[in-house]
Amino acid sequence: MKKKSLWQTLTGSREMSLVAVLIVLLIVITILSPSFLSPTNISQIFRNNALTLLMAIGMLCVMLTAGIDISITSTLAFAGMTIGMLQKYDVIHNTFLLFLIGTGIGIVCGLLNGVIIAKAKVAPIICTMGFMYIWRGMAYVVSGNAWASGADVAGFSDFGKEGSPGPYIILIVAYVIFFIVMKWTRFGRKIYAVGSNAEAARISGINVDRTVISVYTIMGLLAGLAGVLSVSIYASAQPNMQYAKEMDVIAACVIGGVSMNGGRGSVAGTFLGALIIAIIAKALPLVGIDAIAQNLVKGIIILAVVILNVITQRMMDHQNLVRREM
Amino acid sequence: MAEDIILELKGITKIFPGVKALNNVQFQLRRGEVHALMGENGAGKSTFIKVITGVHSAEEGHMYLNGQEVFFKGPLDAQEAGIAAVYQHPTSYPELSVTENIFMGHETVKGGIIQWREMNAKAQELLDSLDADFKATDEVGALSVAQQQMMEIAKALSTNAQIFILDEPTAALTANESEKLYGIVDKLREDGKSVIFISHRFEDMYRLASRVTVFRDSQYIGTYDVDGISNADLIKAMVGREITDMYPKQEIKLGEEMLRVEGMSRVGYFKDVSFDVKAGEIVGLTGLVGAGRTETIESVCGITKPDSGKVYLQGKPITIKNPSDAMEAGIILLPEDRQRQGLILSWGLGRNVTLPIQDVLANKGFNDEKKERELSKKHLEDVDTKAVTIFQPASSLSGGNQQKVVVAKALAQSHMKVVIMDEPTKGIDVGAKKEIYEIMGDLAKKGYGIIMISSEMPEIIGMCDRIFVMCNGRVSGCLDRSEVTQEKILELSMEQSGTKKGGAA
Amino acid sequence: MAGKSGREISAVPEGGLKEKLLTWEGALILIFVAVNILGVIISPVYNATNVLREMPKYLAEAFMVFGMGYILVLGDIDISVGSIVCLSATMACFAGNAGLPFGVVVLVCVLTGLCCGMFNGLIATKFTELPTMIVTLGTQIVFRGIAEVSLGSGGSISMQNTEGLSLIAKKIGPFPISFFVLLIFAIVFITLLSKTTFGRKLYAIGSNQTAAKYAGINVQGSRFFCFSLLGFLSGVSALFLLSTLYGANTTTGNGFEMEVIAMCVFGGIATTGGKGNLIGGFIAAFIIFCLKIALGQRNINTQLILVIIGLMLIVSVVIPGLGSYFGAKKKSTTK
Repeated sequence: MKKKSLWQTLTGSREMSLVAVLIVLLIVITILSPSFLSPTNISQIFRNNALTLLMAIGMLCVMLTAGIDISITSTLAFAGMTIGMLQKYDVIHNTFLLFLIGTGIGIVCGLLNGVIIAKAKVAPIICTMGFMYIWRGMAYVVSGNAWASGADVAGFSDFGKEGSPGPYIILIVAYVIFFIVMKWTRFGRKIYAVGSNAEAARISGINVDRTVISVYTIMGLLAGLAGVLSVSIYASAQPNMQYAKEMDVIAACVIGGVSMNGGRGSVAGTFLGALIIAIIAKALPLVGIDAIAQNLVKGIIILAVVILNVITQRMMDHQNLVRREM
Repeated sequence: MAEDIILELKGITKIFPGVKALNNVQFQLRRGEVHALMGENGAGKSTFIKVITGVHSAEEGHMYLNGQEVFFKGPLDAQEAGIAAVYQHPTSYPELSVTENIFMGHETVKGGIIQWREMNAKAQELLDSLDADFKATDEVGALSVAQQQMMEIAKALSTNAQIFILDEPTAALTANESEKLYGIVDKLREDGKSVIFISHRFEDMYRLASRVTVFRDSQYIGTYDVDGISNADLIKAMVGREITDMYPKQEIKLGEEMLRVEGMSRVGYFKDVSFDVKAGEIVGLTGLVGAGRTETIESVCGITKPDSGKVYLQGKPITIKNPSDAMEAGIILLPEDRQRQGLILSWGLGRNVTLPIQDVLANKGFNDEKKERELSKKHLEDVDTKAVTIFQPASSLSGGNQQKVVVAKALAQSHMKVVIMDEPTKGIDVGAKKEIYEIMGDLAKKGYGIIMISSEMPEIIGMCDRIFVMCNGRVSGCLDRSEVTQEKILELSMEQSGTKKGGAA
Repeated sequence: MAGKSGREISAVPEGGLKEKLLTWEGALILIFVAVNILGVIISPVYNATNVLREMPKYLAEAFMVFGMGYILVLGDIDISVGSIVCLSATMACFAGNAGLPFGVVVLVCVLTGLCCGMFNGLIATKFTELPTMIVTLGTQIVFRGIAEVSLGSGGSISMQNTEGLSLIAKKIGPFPISFFVLLIFAIVFITLLSKTTFGRKLYAIGSNQTAAKYAGINVQGSRFFCFSLLGFLSGVSALFLLSTLYGANTTTGNGFEMEVIAMCVFGGIATTGGKGNLIGGFIAAFIIFCLKIALGQRNINTQLILVIIGLMLIVSVVIPGLGSYFGAKKKSTTK
């Protein structure tokens, strides 16, 4: 009786159902367009969505503590714009140093978020909304109404240009590290504990404030890194880069099963969530849907997924109730 | 007699902004004893526990462990020193597994990597030793309150502690679940561990403790041998005055039928429940937690939708679709969880009282603040709330006084006919309990029909004219005042569930 | 059953004029004055005439402050309003260009907003398990998506017949019509929230939704109403926005949701629900408008305004936290 049916396995674990969705999706797309799963296409999907995939890890950490960070693309723009300008005015051209500076900016931005949220007890959405304005504004200030063109960032963009392994390495390293950290280390579990029950975590001797500060710092770090990567991949830096794309990152997490109430979510789920959005976006033209409708479809999918979640949960609850003997 | 003192605290003073939560308090714990800590709500027991476990640090005083003075900077220090606590409200992580809950903060780590398999095995071992009916890999959110409490105890055991602190562990448990807990505590004592036990239930103390320490108004009152102190003396020590006749049940002539519920069912919660209450009558609704008492009442009051069932008010059938329908009909519910369901803690007392009737008091949709103030003042004074002004937030009151505000809120509804009180004395102190019983008696005298849901047998037996016992979602029997005994109630509560079912809670 | 101890509980309201001025609204008025003084200092052309001339550009956004204030008081959030503005404006332009009379255009604009709001409300109340942040994140993308699809590859539309729009862009004396409409809305919605049982119910829901339900308040009905109201007000915003832009494109209303939420929060409404009032939000809106106008006149990099709005937001939420932090310290040392 205890043995789970295939259906229960699929609906019981978020990751399994996402894998199922992904497989179905890929089968349908491959039937419609057999060339979809070509290596170039796949590598393009990862390259074009590298920023979302990267920042989704940080957003996972933040959302696990029942927080949210909508300042990430502003941090991205600030970091990216800064290193763009550093190259434009020939201050620094060393790729490693530029990565270091961009990531460093991200860390500082994230740290500020974390400190204000943890110490001044400001609601995460409000605090990060404030910084969303501030860093985006700073990106414009740094730019001084100019932008860094492909020529300006010539040497640097080799790292992320088409065919270069750079972005993939960063993604793989980041996902492997966080997959291990979140599941197998104390630090990772502390994040889950804080999001699940902060008061209990405090009693268990976990420094809640420090954990909260560190997740926002991680988020900042990844956003800064994404900023540098963005300049490298797209070979340009504009102050409005990735504007409003933070919602894509949040959507990836939500589809990946990360709860906004904290404590629930996984690295694998987040990865799958981001991937599903990316594949759908890429596949739309293949199935004859105009690229203009991309956003509409994306929005409908987000709504459908979250509502479907609720409905399946309700059905499961109801079945459990019916099964109770009286 | 050379006493073997494992833990001693002297002259402990703890100050919170504006209040002295503990004032020069002392305490001694012998090795291998179960020591009860008693006192009214707000006496400082929980704060005291948190000083011992390092959650709070005291402003003044000394703490000695095995004769050595110790200073705990945080909960981890206390854990390492061998002190484990099970707090009043289960402090679990609902989204995480039982194993993880048990080992949070002291995971088994090799080279920075958490050893899940090893921890799962250890956790399962602990659960087996406690005879638990759930698995180490289960998600905690899916467990019942009793099971979570069990997990908390497993957590305390996992730290290899010498001193166990249990803060109101039986508050959320039913009689037979409490019995199981007693067994665990007995076992701890046999193993030579020391236990500090906080409870409002005298039966807990008599059953377990050898000594009892009483706190009152943040001060130490005394330590007594349980065998050497009478119930009345203990109550006097706790409340500072004598309480005679705990249950002021008056003989009232019963009137016409006020409320009758017939064949009420809701899938998975309760089935075919029928009961009734007459004017002037106090009807008890009891049974184990999870028997469906609260769920039934919530359906009667329109908070949840029943699948079937009829409700008659004074003989006439009525339809209740939402809570306001029930209120308009005159059926007033005092919910179980006053902090979450009964009050808006951040609001002033006055606004809490007038919340359900503001539409009645209002003038063309505009709030009549003056009328509201006068009315709430009157009702709050009627139930003798210990408060300074009607503007102070409900969160500033103790549990007992919060309950009085909930009562005042019900009384303010002028066309009340039936009052349903769900666990009205849960977690409140002896003095306030008696006042609640008195109010209940007065209401019955005025001719209202009263339904009291309670798990505490003494008050059910002491206050009710008739007692409906629920078991596993059904009414398993109705007992009259003249025939009721604890044994009969227990028998009906557990009639069919002789073999314990996992899904029963 | 009179109180047995005869203990009396005071029912005399506290606080006089001094307390009233020491509120956040009082501080906001001072900030408003300060911003205007700053404007005069940094810009030689910052005067009443010029401010009023530039005002209509910004006023449209202020309509949503009322609805958003209600939503935040409920403890909900709606980040789809920018998209609703975009969709409403787009639909109004289509209606206008189809030759429909201006009255119908107005109706289309406002009803589109109302429908969007009702859709939000429907999902939020039927699937209460979902945080409204997620619901409106989804609808934000959907509403703008619909606008994008309707606008097609061009991505923009302009109103060909501007007669009606220029009518509502007119001025009465020095003030634009939208200013008077806004003022009437302000009076109605501020009174509704602070003086009526309806308003009190919203605070009850925002403070403790469960207790509100147990007290007989129609929680889901109120939430549905407020989401619909905010949708309607977004439609109104779109209409007045059209009267200054005479057209719409895919980026119309981008970021409005954040600005409107910022105004509310800066005005003292907590996103956690149950706290704050609309007067603060209303004043905060004008502080931000005046700041934008003043900095705009000085040709200060318009994006620097973002930094300033962000800083104001952060400071306004950090200060109360600091205050209670130090207040608690002070008390514990004196007692």
